[in-house]
Amino acid sequence: MAEFLFKLKNLNWLFVFLVFFLSFVGFVMIYSATISGENMILVSHVYKIAIGFTFMIFIALIDMDFWKRYAYVFYFLGLILLFWASFYGYLGKGARRWINLFGINFQPSETMKIILIISLAKFFDEKKIQENKDYFFLVLPILLVIVPFLLILSQPDLGTAMLILFVSLIIFFMSGISWKLFAIFGTLSLTIAPYLWNGLKDYQKQRILTLFNPENDPLGSGYHIIQSQIAIGSGGTFGKGWLKGSQSHLDFLPEKHTDFIFSMLGEEFGFFGTISVIGLICLITFMAFQIFRRYAHNNFNRVVGYGIISNFFFASLINMSMVIGILPVVGLPLPLVSYGGSSMLTYFIGFGIILSLDRNSK
Amino acid sequence: MNREVNVEKKIRRRALILGFSKSVFALLVCGKLFYLQILQKSKYGKLSDSNRIKVKILLPERGTIYDYFNKPIASNRIDYQLNIFKEKKGLINKYINTLKGHITFTDRDLVEIKENLDEQDLSDFITIKKNLTWKELEFLEFMSSKFPFLIITKEKVRYYKNNTIFSHVLGYVGYKKNVSKKKLLNLKVGISGIEKKLNKKLLGSDGWRKYETNSKGRIKKELNMKNSIPGQNIRTFLISDVQKRAYKEMSGISGAIVMIDCKNGGVNCLMSSPSFDNNAFSDGVSRKKWNQLLGDEFNPLLNRCIAGLYSPGSTYKLITALHALENKNFNKEKNFFCSGHVAFGNRKFHCWKKEGHGNVNLFNAIKKSCDSYFYNLAKGLEIDKLSNFSNLFSYGDRTGIDIPNELKGIMPNKKWKMENRGQRWHRGETLNAVIGQGFMLSTPLQIALMTARLASGKKIIPSIIYKERSFDNLNINENNLNFLRRSMFSVVNDSDGTAFRSKLSGRMKMAGKTGTSQVRRISLAEREDGVLKNEELSYKLRDHSVFTCYAPYDDPRFAMSVIAEHMGSGSKVAAPIAKRIMEFALKSYI
Repeated sequence: MAEFLFKLKNLNWLFVFLVFFLSFVGFVMIYSATISGENMILVSHVYKIAIGFTFMIFIALIDMDFWKRYAYVFYFLGLILLFWASFYGYLGKGARRWINLFGINFQPSETMKIILIISLAKFFDEKKIQENKDYFFLVLPILLVIVPFLLILSQPDLGTAMLILFVSLIIFFMSGISWKLFAIFGTLSLTIAPYLWNGLKDYQKQRILTLFNPENDPLGSGYHIIQSQIAIGSGGTFGKGWLKGSQSHLDFLPEKHTDFIFSMLGEEFGFFGTISVIGLICLITFMAFQIFRRYAHNNFNRVVGYGIISNFFFASLINMSMVIGILPVVGLPLPLVSYGGSSMLTYFIGFGIILSLDRNSK
Repeated sequence: MNREVNVEKKIRRRALILGFSKSVFALLVCGKLFYLQILQKSKYGKLSDSNRIKVKILLPERGTIYDYFNKPIASNRIDYQLNIFKEKKGLINKYINTLKGHITFTDRDLVEIKENLDEQDLSDFITIKKNLTWKELEFLEFMSSKFPFLIITKEKVRYYKNNTIFSHVLGYVGYKKNVSKKKLLNLKVGISGIEKKLNKKLLGSDGWRKYETNSKGRIKKELNMKNSIPGQNIRTFLISDVQKRAYKEMSGISGAIVMIDCKNGGVNCLMSSPSFDNNAFSDGVSRKKWNQLLGDEFNPLLNRCIAGLYSPGSTYKLITALHALENKNFNKEKNFFCSGHVAFGNRKFHCWKKEGHGNVNLFNAIKKSCDSYFYNLAKGLEIDKLSNFSNLFSYGDRTGIDIPNELKGIMPNKKWKMENRGQRWHRGETLNAVIGQGFMLSTPLQIALMTARLASGKKIIPSIIYKERSFDNLNINENNLNFLRRSMFSVVNDSDGTAFRSKLSGRMKMAGKTGTSQVRRISLAEREDGVLKNEELSYKLRDHSVFTCYAPYDDPRFAMSVIAEHMGSGSKVAAPIAKRIMEFALKSYI
């Protein structure tokens, strides 16, 4: 018991506070998004924050060795759930990505990101790649990535699939894979890109195409991006005020409690609001970087940490880029802010691991 | 351990690169946000407003037109209209197809939708169906959730309670295309009659209402509005009940009835028959119906009161007589013998009474409408002087009545004949002119106005729109006027007067003059064979029946003219109609 309290006391509470504050922003925005009607969503969101927060603290108390030891077991379990979801899961928003686990709706693809980060980090840590000039060893880690990637793509969940690929690349990069390999990988992916393109559903192709010129199809697939930009742009410097966003509350803005929640934030709190949230995300990321830099002599932990924080950072910024029209809208929630339990739980778990890392570094 | 450290160094290096790329990414996003929210704020602010704010132009309610006793004769009814958001006009065809089974879209509606689509007014709504029935309204209310972007509005549109009765005098309203003031395109304006003449007053000015709507086109709240300003109400001199009575009397007869108040010049009745339905016109008449009306041989669109041209016939003898008395110092006791015709040059001029009237003086010549007497009188008259004198009674000129499209008719003189026929005036033509035949043409309004001026001795100018006025004297010797009035009295009240059968039954007396407006010239050969009776002629060749009168005799109030086309002599049809209307008017209003 004393040990438990000691561990608890040793947590990086500033970091906990920042994470909590970000999810509070989520609460504020979901409140606004659901004020007219669906208040069950807000209640459910609060439950999820509470559950996720508890999970985070709990995981923060687990030592890092545990994850390293059972990484492949988790990977195996995650893969089974992913199979289940991709083939027998039920449909939502045109994709088969949910399963029902003990009465809870759950997206295995979200958790798979964390599990993949840990598994890859473990693989590279044990392989001692520095001394290995034989590149054949890369087959296994690439398989580790490709299998869940294809499963998620088949659901289809383009956003999560691309993110999982991207985060895996970061792990490869942070593990010290030679630049040459990245060059090869880059050429290779450019070659297969056309085939991938053909594999996309029409609506996904449309989304990507309209990114380049949303005004081309203002009532069709460009509608979301245009309305989202209008919402953000019309917010101006300080926004229209909480609960007062006309784009959001009059339903011109689609998916305002999930993928487009950042647009609503931009509309109601303006440039001040959007920059503050980006600042908060950067601050969390920066703090995590500081923790990993301080942490000595455990490269596995470090790579896992960079992977998790990159997952969080890029997911956030990619979501923002989508809603402001820098990247195509492929469907990614804003971490800890958007409504959605699996995603939120995954990020809380991630932050739990970072907290555990921080605790071990002292 | 060494390896671990090397790897750690490498990770540190790569973490720097990772951190750097993250910073770049974050800056990129911040830059775009700065562009959207700071630099382009006003553009997106406007777009956001145009998303949520919808403007509905509020058309003003047209002013009501009242009769002399403040009974409304042109008012407005509530019309429920179906509108669609302009930005969703792509949905129109789909919606029409879906709604077809429950809402009737006529061809005309579809044409109007097309026209409305091209309009560039400020409104964010397009009307796709007017005149919704209760059943259609009920259906739309019930199904409203299935049809976003549709809204029902309540408009006030022109409604004539007594359609057809007032059609010519009130006119109707309709769309005027290609007007310069774009935003008023959807506003109906007066096309004819009083509606046209007083359009500016009746129109009012438009307002707007701004709604906040959601993306489904549901109105969430009203933001603000500027009320439209209703048009002014207008009072007229028309008397509804007299007009209605006139309408009834003229059923089945083509012609006109005009009644003028001798006291104030107000037009109490202006009835042209046959009529048309001005409600149908105001709601938008179809091309087929329009062509049908244009092609109608009885020409219902013509306002005969002000634009129907007839020979005044014997009613004009009053002016001839007055002219002779006033300007030629004619001795009214002078007798002429009527043998049934008068020879002049190498022509014979016939009296309507073939067997002749015998010896008559001027008084009797008017009472019995003896043509021969006037032929003889005419021999000493100059057409130009007669023509000038007639101008005093509005012949040959517009009366100045306050509705558009009045014709001035023809008051012939030498100059007129030279200009229009390229010939000199023949003296024989003066003989035709003095009995109101020949070239002379006048409107029923002119005939009524002549009578009103004779009765009042004042230079009355007719007016439909109510206003207080006073008139100058005609400057005609009162003795001569009184002689005319007495002779008109005898026409109706003496047993040998031409209109004795139309003597009023009550205490009050009427004075009048019959007339027969010839439509054809009777040829010499025909004369010898015996003139055909009117009933034996085909309709189009029959004479018009004309009667003009005023009452009460001792204090003139109502002056009236009645023209019944192709109904024969004035005493037969026009006079009895006038009698009935006059009796009604006197009983009701004096």
